[in-house]
Amino acid sequence: MPVALVPGGGHPAASLLPAGYDLWKFVSQYHDELLAGFENTLKISAIAIAGSYAIGIVLGAARAHRIPLVSQLAAVYVELIRNTPILVQIFVLFYGLPQFGILLDQFSVAWLAVMIWGGAFHTENFRAGFGAVSHNHHEAALALGFRPLSAFLNVTLPIGARIALPSSINTAISVVKNTALVYVIGYAELTTTALNISNLTLQTTEALTVLAIVYLTLVWSLSGAIRLLEARLALPRA
Amino acid sequence: MPDWAGPVAHYVLHEGLPNTLRVGAIAIAGSAIVGIVLGTLLTIDFRPSRTVIRLYIEVFRGLPILVTVFLVFFGLPAISHTFEFNALNAASIALVLWGSAQVAEATRGAVQSIPREQHEAAAALGFGWTERHAYVILPQALRRLLPPFVSLLVNIIQNTTLAGVIGGLEILQAGERQSERLTSPPPIGVGHIHAFEIFAGVAALFFVISFPLTRLAAYLERRLV
Repeated sequence: MPVALVPGGGHPAASLLPAGYDLWKFVSQYHDELLAGFENTLKISAIAIAGSYAIGIVLGAARAHRIPLVSQLAAVYVELIRNTPILVQIFVLFYGLPQFGILLDQFSVAWLAVMIWGGAFHTENFRAGFGAVSHNHHEAALALGFRPLSAFLNVTLPIGARIALPSSINTAISVVKNTALVYVIGYAELTTTALNISNLTLQTTEALTVLAIVYLTLVWSLSGAIRLLEARLALPRA
Repeated sequence: MPDWAGPVAHYVLHEGLPNTLRVGAIAIAGSAIVGIVLGTLLTIDFRPSRTVIRLYIEVFRGLPILVTVFLVFFGLPAISHTFEFNALNAASIALVLWGSAQVAEATRGAVQSIPREQHEAAAALGFGWTERHAYVILPQALRRLLPPFVSLLVNIIQNTTLAGVIGGLEILQAGERQSERLTSPPPIGVGHIHAFEIFAGVAALFFVISFPLTRLAAYLERRLV
């Protein structure tokens, strides 16, 4: 496709875009599909974020308190996930597991893969967070008659989780961005939807514009909102 | 080792691995050069340049890397034929855009962490802005940059798999093609599915490359910070 030189001059920026570029028409025509894709992105992001936080808090606590066996298994899990590409993990889940009779559909692999990935990073975040809680706090709680579990829930968790907050938020945002990767198994989230439309209609530039705008808006507003939350939840300076 | 595994391993190691390493090397070198320059320029108190670099960083850190790969591979050729790249080069460029944004942000922090007196002492010795940064500030800042840079290395190596999504023949794509081939009846394949073994093998290959590097990053973090 040649560069679209607008006849009679026109806006200089217009010549950068391919002939017939019409973002507005693209969006209004495929509004429903794109919105459904965006909803699926939000859906798998939400499930994966919630699940990965749960994994991270439980395994992070096991790592920080060196609970035998669980701690070692968690370490293996973290290193395996952090040192292999998430795309390979998606492929193992989607194409590898059926060999053992475990058939997961695209939706399940989509949220599961991103959740497992996020869980490993959250385990590290919370291990560091819980590890940074002064040992005296924990001992004081035990001396007051708290059982180990309630000492963790009432003392270590509220303090450690807030220490881990900034790094865990970065992980959560990465989880959202990584949902785009389930494009490779064809789950109809935003990236897959936009690319499929562009494959049918050749409106590639419009589809990519939509992707860039939606993801940047999502990620930027998330990190903006979170910075506000962070200021409210931050530990008061002693 | 079963009969089918030999050719698969050969294909992955001889066709896929060199391309993975090439994409990784270009991405790492490009990210380091572009990122350090942009990060250093970001410390200059000149609003227009700061705004432009800040926007570059926020855009390429905010986009999923896959979307950046699509922008380079599908988006740029739509603008002009001069920007047509093959899959491996497009992935390399996308990884440079993403990696340099990471490096730029880290460099800004590292340069600003060098005490003011170092700038003043260098200026007092008659160094101009360029020499001051080249001989005094950056050598100290780069030391602090080393641990995050090794972590970035791991990230970039793992993200070279994105080249496979657009058809570039790197490790994962090589494994994918072999896994598909094996499902055909002989003589092309073996008529069985070996997807798990192949992708687990690909994962193991990445693990062997990445694990020493993550250990190194953790070690440097303890040593240098």
